[in-house]
Parts: sequence; C-alpha cells; structure tokens
Amino acid sequence: MELNVNEALRYLGAGEGADAALRERVEGQAARLTALVRPRYWYRVTPVTHGAQGILLAEAGLFLTGRTAALMLEECGQAVLLACTLGAQFDALLRTEQARDMAQAVILDACGSAWVEAGCDRAEEEIAGRFPGKYLTDRFSPGYGDLPLTVQPELCRALDAQRRLGLCVTPSLLLTPGKSVTAVLGIADRPQRRRVRGCACCSMKQTCTLRKRGMTCGI
Amino acid sequence: MGSDFLKNGIVLLDGATGTVFQQKGLPPGGRPELLNLSDPELVRSVHREYLEAGSQVVYANTFGANRLKLAHTGRSVEEVVGAGVRLAREACAGTGGRTALDMGPLGELLEPMGSLRFEQAYEIFREVAVAGAAAGADLAVIETMTDLYEAKAALLAVKEHTALPVLVTMTFDTGGRTFTGCTIPSMARTLEGLGADAIGLNCSLGPDQLGRLLSELCRNTRLPVIAKPNAGLPDPVDGRYDLGPEAFAAALVPLLDTGVTIFGGCCGTSPAYIRVLKEALAGKVPAPRRYAPVSMVCTPTVPVRIDGVRVIGERINPTGKKRFQQALLEEDLDYILDVGLQEADAGADILDVNVGYPGVDEVAMMPRVVKALQAALPIPLQLDSSNPAALEAGLRVYNGKAAVNSVNGKPEVLEEILPVVKKYGAAVVGLALDEEGIPQTAEERFTIAARILEAARAHGIPEEDVWIDCLTLTVSAQQAQAGETLRAVSMVREKLGLQNVLGVSNISFGLPNRGLITQNFLVQAMAMGLTLPILNPNQSEMMDAVAAFRVLSGEDGECRDYISRFAAQKAAPATAPAGELRLTLDEAIARGLRSEAGRLARAALEQGDGLSLVEGTLIPALDRVGADYERGVLFLPQLLSAAQAAQAVFEEVRSALARQGSAPVKKGRIVVATVQGDIHDIGKNIVKTLLENYGYDVIDLGRDVPPETVAGTVREKDVRLVGLSALMTTTLPSMEATIRLLHTLPRPPVIFVGGAVVTADYAARMGADYYAKDARQSVEIARSILG
Repeated sequence: MELNVNEALRYLGAGEGADAALRERVEGQAARLTALVRPRYWYRVTPVTHGAQGILLAEAGLFLTGRTAALMLEECGQAVLLACTLGAQFDALLRTEQARDMAQAVILDACGSAWVEAGCDRAEEEIAGRFPGKYLTDRFSPGYGDLPLTVQPELCRALDAQRRLGLCVTPSLLLTPGKSVTAVLGIADRPQRRRVRGCACCSMKQTCTLRKRGMTCGI
Repeated sequence: MGSDFLKNGIVLLDGATGTVFQQKGLPPGGRPELLNLSDPELVRSVHREYLEAGSQVVYANTFGANRLKLAHTGRSVEEVVGAGVRLAREACAGTGGRTALDMGPLGELLEPMGSLRFEQAYEIFREVAVAGAAAGADLAVIETMTDLYEAKAALLAVKEHTALPVLVTMTFDTGGRTFTGCTIPSMARTLEGLGADAIGLNCSLGPDQLGRLLSELCRNTRLPVIAKPNAGLPDPVDGRYDLGPEAFAAALVPLLDTGVTIFGGCCGTSPAYIRVLKEALAGKVPAPRRYAPVSMVCTPTVPVRIDGVRVIGERINPTGKKRFQQALLEEDLDYILDVGLQEADAGADILDVNVGYPGVDEVAMMPRVVKALQAALPIPLQLDSSNPAALEAGLRVYNGKAAVNSVNGKPEVLEEILPVVKKYGAAVVGLALDEEGIPQTAEERFTIAARILEAARAHGIPEEDVWIDCLTLTVSAQQAQAGETLRAVSMVREKLGLQNVLGVSNISFGLPNRGLITQNFLVQAMAMGLTLPILNPNQSEMMDAVAAFRVLSGEDGECRDYISRFAAQKAAPATAPAGELRLTLDEAIARGLRSEAGRLARAALEQGDGLSLVEGTLIPALDRVGADYERGVLFLPQLLSAAQAAQAVFEEVRSALARQGSAPVKKGRIVVATVQGDIHDIGKNIVKTLLENYGYDVIDLGRDVPPETVAGTVREKDVRLVGLSALMTTTLPSMEATIRLLHTLPRPPVIFVGGAVVTADYAARMGADYYAKDARQSVEIARSILG
C-alpha cells in the first residue's frame, strides 16, 4: 500500500506546480502518516436483484435508487459494499496539528485523503483476489451521480461499520471519523467499462475548487 | 441485589442475541430491539435457551434501545427497554438467573470525533438506565464500547441514577487498542476509578487473540474480569464465523490462568456455545490474581505510569503572567492550548491546569479548557483549583483518569474535596500543611502527609492515588527549609511509600542565576524520592536534569532517551549561527519562518511601536504572499506558513502591549463558525488563521454551531462581520437558517460564506452578502468591511 504524493499535492491545488520545498514537506508528512496510521477496511458481498424502482441488495437490506446504481450494476449478479477509514487516530493527529501548525495540517489533511484512497485500492485488490475469473466495476459512493447521500446510514448499518471499523454517520450524513469512504462495487462475468472516473460523474463538479482553478484531482 | 456474585468463582453470561435473531428470521436491517414488542415469545425463548444452557446472567434485548437508534420507529425508550427487561425477567423467573440491562454504543461518535456532546450522551444513557432499573433489571451492562468517553458517560448515568451493579466491556483490536486508540491500562484504571463492578473485553476478536489482552487487563485492575468474545471472525464473503462451540470453549478455558472469572460469547455464538463452555469450565478454578498497585493517570491513548520521574508542566496558570490572564479574561482558548502544546512538545508528561483568576468563572472555564486541551493533546491533566465545584466540573468532562491539585491537612478541605476525587477516580495531591500553616520541620510535614493518606483511605481512595507535596520554600528567605523539604520528601517515599509532587521553581526566587539553584534543588529532590516535579518544561536545563537523572537511576534503559534528546538538539540548533543568514522580518514572514519572525519582531519592538510594525511591515509582507498565491505561484501550505510567521509577530506585539498594560490592538471583530450539523472545520480554521494574522479579532465559535449561538454572539458583542462555512450539501440548509436568523437582528451583520459545496449563486440565493471562493478572499472581504 503506497501513499501517492502526487495525488496529495493535487489535493493541495499544487500538482506539478509544486516546488521542491513543498514536495519535500508533503513527502515528510506522508512518511509520518503512513508510519502512524494504517487504513482499515471492511467489506461484505451481497446478491443483486434488479427491479423497476432500483437495485435491491436483499441480504444487506439495502435499496439503491437512481440511474447511477442501475447503470453501474447492470451486468452484475453480486455487489460488494466497502468501507475504509483512517480512524479516530487520524482525526486526533489532525486536531493536534491544526493547533500547532495550520500549514502542516492542510498538508496532513491532503495526505490523509490520498491514504484512505490507497486503502480502498488495497481492499479492491483483495476483493478481486477473492473472485478469480470475475470483473469488478469502478467503486461508486453515496453522493456520486444520483446515488443519494441518504443511503449512507443504511450502507453503514449493512456493513456493521461501527462494530467493524468504528465508523458512524452523523444526523447530517457525514461519515465520522473524518477520513472515511464508503463505496459499492459490482461483480460481473465480463470486463466492465470505467464509468465513474472523471469530473463528469462527480457530484462535486459544480463546486470543486480544483476545477475552479482549471485542474482535476485525477480520479 | 448486590455485586457479590461477581466476586465468587466463575460466572457464566449468555451469548449473542442479534445473530441468533437473524438465524431465526429477523430481516436484515431490522431493529432487533423492536422484537421485544412485536415478537415477545421469540425474545423470551432465546433467553430461556441460554438459561437452560447454563447462563447465570442474560442480557436483555436492549443493546440499541436508545433515543437515537429508536428515532423514527414510533417507539419510546421506556417501552422498548421496559419490555426487554421484563421479557428477560420472565425467562429468569424460577431459574436463579439474573437480568442485565444491556447498553451498547449510541451509534454516533462523541465530540471531538463526532458531533454528539458528552452531556447529551449522558442524558441518552440516563434515560435507558432509569427505564431499565424501573423495569426491574438486576444489573446493568455497558458493552462493545470503543470510546472510553462514551463508556464514562454511560457509567456515570447508571451510577448516578440507579443502584445497579455495572459491568463494562470494551472492544479491542489485536494491537491492544480500541478504534479510538484507547489502551487497556487506560480503560482499566478509568473505569475502576469511576466505580464499575467488573470490566472486560467483548466482541471484535476471537478468544484465541484475546489472551494477551486479558492478561494485561488483569494486571491493571483489582476488579473481576470478563471475557465475552466473538466466535472468531466473520468471513466478508459468506458472513460465517470461523469457530465452532468446541474450539470456542477450548480457547476460552486457558483464560482462567490469567485470572478471568466471568465468561460469555458475543457475535456468532449461540446457546450451543454456552452449553459446551459450561461443561469445559466445570470443576476448573481460576488462577489467583496478581495485581501490583502502580500510580497512574491517563488519557485514553496515553497511560502515564508513575514508575519513575514524570514531569508535570506548570505553565497553564495565570499567576504572574499578564498575557495568560488576558487570554483567560478574553476566553482565548487557543492561546491556552498553545501554552499546553509547547509544554507537551518540550517533554511534559502531565499538564497542571489552573484557570482561577479574578473575573473568571472558574466553574464554567475549567470544563471548557479541559475539553479544548484533551481534543488536541494526548497527555493527562492535573486539575489545579481550590474550588470543589470547578474541580468536579472539570473531572466530569475529563476523558481518562486525572489528578487533582490539591487537598491539604485541613479537615474541612479533606471533607469537601476527597468525595469528588473518589467519585471520579482521580489521583490527588495532598499539600503538607494545615490550619496552622506550613510546619517548620520535616517530621511535622510527614505527620500531615500521613493524616491526608488516612483520610483518603477512609474515603475509599487507594494509596497509589495519593501524592504528597512537601512544599518548596524560597531558600533566600528561609535557608534551612530547603533541607527540611528534602528530608520530608525522603520520609514520604520511604515510610509511606507514596509519590512525591513538588513545585521546584519557588526555591530560587530572589537569587541571581535562578536556573542553577532550581536545577540543583530538582536533582537533590529527585535523589530523595521526588517523582513528580512540577516545573516549566520549556526551560531546557530542567528537562536536561530530568533526562540525566533518568540515566543515573537506571530508568532510561540503555540511555536511549538521553541519547536521542541530545542527538536531536545537535541536529537542530536553537538559533541560526550568526552571520550565516541575515533575514529581514519581511523575508522571514514570506518564507514562513516562525521563530525567526518572532525574534526579528522582538528586536523591532525595542526600536518602534507595535502598530507601525504591523501596518508598515507585516501586512505588506502578507499581501505580497497573498498575491503570489492568487497567481498560482504559491499554494495553500505556503500561504499559511507565512500567516503563522505573521502570527508570531502579532504574539510579540500583544505581549509587548500586555506588559505595558495597554489595550490590545485589534482591527475589528469577526465571528466565524462551521454551521450546525457540520463538523469538518479545517476550512474555517484556515480562514481564521489568515484573518487573525491580518490583525482581526476573530471569535471562533467552532463547528456544529446552532444558528442561535451565532446570532446571540453577534448581538451581544455587536459584531459587524460573520463568516460561515459548510462542507456538505446536507448542511447548507442550516447555513441558510443561520443567515435568516442573523437578518432578523436589529443591526444585522455583513455575512460571507464559503466551503466546498457553496457557490456564488447559492450564496446569493441564501441571502449572504459575500461569497469567499477561498480563505484568501475572506481577507479582502474583511478589509472592505472593517478596514
């Protein structure tokens, strides 16, 4: 599992424009973070039932409405629910750093985003390994496309995410701890097109600060 | 019904209920607790099966029956908890089995990780505890906790509102930490101190992985210890647990050797597991417990064992510090936190916290400061006050086991403060003085110390939690007293076996080269048995002396800490060598060199006044950095580094003004807040950092701030500019509600908004005056409104 420093630099709005000093600072925080915190993940496999109103994941007691889920899982007989988090320990580090050095804190924050993504990638590799001969769709999350954020609490409940990862949802649908991701992946019998990646599919496309500066986060 | 049954031999609890209900057809996603009302016979039958299998205690089906999890079900806590407890009691009737009220985590994280306040969590647990006791539970169980703070809220709620014995079990990973980072010693000492009747581990791991953790737990508590593990780990693909009943029992039985006496099962177990376990345990005798008392204070993540010298930082204290007094009066918690951070970075193990000052409401301020410090700093606190109400308010919200500074030999003081110490399981410092004052001889001080220990014991406080302060007197005024203090320290150590606390700095008052005297006294006192010196850890000669002492006493194994301390000092010289680098203040700010900027500012302040320094040098330097940021040459971290270097300059200006007794220069007040429901506040904190470093007086209301708090602050302090931030689409409505409420004020402020999901359009539609696309723009807005 490796923290992608270029990705962290992009989250900071810098990307290729970063000078050596900034890159070095980001590398320093990345090294510190990866030594202190490991991403944890948990997943669960559930059969998929396609219906007129949406996708039913019966064993998980979960119903996914909208076009995104229907399209993503179109060719899938099973789906994986995934959650990944850097846990409360990352939040504690970030709180201390915000009190000590705000500049360092924003770097740590960007590194945290890249690190939790690395955790998701690792989970995805493991899942792929459990299903030889099958193909995974892209990961997609509540808030992507038209998959509503309101599915977040049920998704976490289906994953027993508090017990497994210490992951909870606030009444305003924020995941806590802060650096956490939940996602759905489909399992299909033939190769799946990459669909979710890119700004066109991102729910942040209207408001993304990187886009305002003419950049992308690379996802 | 008392808790004696927990202490006599082996006790068998029950196994899982949730997974058993699922096997019996509870649909996925359904709330198992609602079965208490919809299918009471099913619930009763599961309890009966456990009782028949040998369980002596069954957990009522109330794990998630709290106000938060029952919201939208149309059922009240009283109904669901009451029914659950009654069903378990009905099943127990005539069997000799006991009914436990079961309380699990609330399902939302507590502050500072989540938005649920400690006091709210307490209220929610109180409701459950009262309903469970009213329905006739024999005991209460708090289980599957990963946050020690939440466990404390639940335990206080049960202890304060019922007479039930309480079991508390938490969930750990193989590394010996909970998800929130809580350690086994921290859990043990905190919960024992708060009055739990038995503690242990449940869920999360299989029994084979629990052995090492349970043995650590047994070494850290006098209480009976519980093991209630899962049937191994579930497979993510098929959901099955990997241990059958025989393997489960075979892994649990050896735990008897560590001293565990209370057994049961968690997820994946069933009555069959309990039956096999009962047979496997039959006739076995648990090993005797070996608990060696050690003094300790802790936060959840950092247990500090006092088995050598541990430094207590003294800087969070207004006495004789103008800048600190001003921060207290202005409720500037950031400043206080910064003082604590510096002490922690300098190597303090524990921080003394004193916020008593005329004009400060200590009872309100103590818990606020405790919460602010523990949110950002992992080290334990020693709450320093003579006001029992302030101490109780602080101890109540403290997460872990704290120390209290102090009691003394006066009977009325002991009677007032020791019950508070006992209730919250704190350690306590006893000053060797009484109504006659400070005795002149070591023997007399020792006598008072012994009296304090006696009183503490009478209140049920164990002796490892009693620390004695033999009192340092100024050697230039009472020269013979230095020797008496040292003798008293030695007697307390040798004859009472207690820890010694001593504030050492006073010794050198009025003498030249104070550091030398203080350092010498510190070394002699440590040699006599001082383990808890209270000092200023920013004075490196004191910390050097402690580091050297730890080497000579053998405490610092292989001199590791000593070597790394001095290797680090060599690597990073405190000041740049002369001649190598001559920066102007302006350059130091642009390059974000904090200490350099502070040093240059100090020099500049000797020549000129603060205001011209700010207006003539600081602001133009920041503007140049800001322009580079706009052009995309510099990025956010560099902008913030410059701002922080500017902060160091401001701090120098403020200190200079405080020394002169002048009012602080502030360019105008701005309220900033992350709106209600939103707890991602890094964006707001970035804005605050920048605004403060342009000289604005920023009132930071924090995160998850209700509209009423924003409006109330604006009205009360007549604030003209308000910045609101929101990160989630789900919290935009509360941003809008805040703006609406601000518009109803007699003198509505100017409002700017920002945050990931906010756009210029949306800002206008919500009625905000300005949209700030980034933190830098908020400075421009502030300038145009406040100048």
